[in-house]
Amino acid sequence: MDNIPLIFFLWVGAFLFATGFAMMVMKRNTIFVLMGIELMLNAANLNLVAFSRSDDQNQGMMMGLFVLVVGVCEMAIALAVIIQVYRQFKGIDIDQFSSRN
Amino acid sequence: MLVTRNLLHAALAMFLCMLGLAGLYVLAYADVMAVSHLLIYVGGVLILILFGIMMTQTPVKEGESVNHLWAEQSGRFWPLSMGLSIFMGLFWVLGHGNWSNEIAQTDSKIVQTGVAFLTEYSFPFELTGVFLLIALVGATFIAKNHG
Repeated sequence: MDNIPLIFFLWVGAFLFATGFAMMVMKRNTIFVLMGIELMLNAANLNLVAFSRSDDQNQGMMMGLFVLVVGVCEMAIALAVIIQVYRQFKGIDIDQFSSRN
Repeated sequence: MLVTRNLLHAALAMFLCMLGLAGLYVLAYADVMAVSHLLIYVGGVLILILFGIMMTQTPVKEGESVNHLWAEQSGRFWPLSMGLSIFMGLFWVLGHGNWSNEIAQTDSKIVQTGVAFLTEYSFPFELTGVFLLIALVGATFIAKNHG
């Protein structure tokens, strides 16, 4: 079986990163922004796994597993913060947030 | 996920995206990574996002026909052009690399990963467990109603 060239994984990673960045900048809803950040994290993770393909120690994949756990922690805390912000401001659009009441 | 403005549609698109990423991990001979990615993202993070969407909706008033899942967004031009330029720049840079394409190991990596977790990476492994505990306790504390 022919192997997939590494450059294809890198292109997919670049596409995911660019999409996540555009989402993070474009959307005003906080959950959308969070999804964009998550896409960027996954793009980096895909690159780690793709590079660890040619490493017999698998260091990239182990790093990717730890990154996965840290991403989950980030997601849980961010959603908790979003819920608290919703209680405070009665909405989760980014341009609503202001400390001057 | 980028083009839709409906939050639930974006969550479903994220589901498809995560499935595709798990498939890519399988194609990159990282089966452990693919399985844990499926478990964590499709099973955990997506449910968290759906809970977040549901808990932060403003209730629909009587006789009002507005879709609160419809999210606002800023102007499209600058974000899309910045994203496109990032993609083109990375595409150009990556195309100039001289990547080696040799595969070290094509069979399953489960045994190797388990042994590595308990020997070489045992300290980061324990640290990750403690970190996860701290993060989850912190998240529940933050989400608590502080009156």
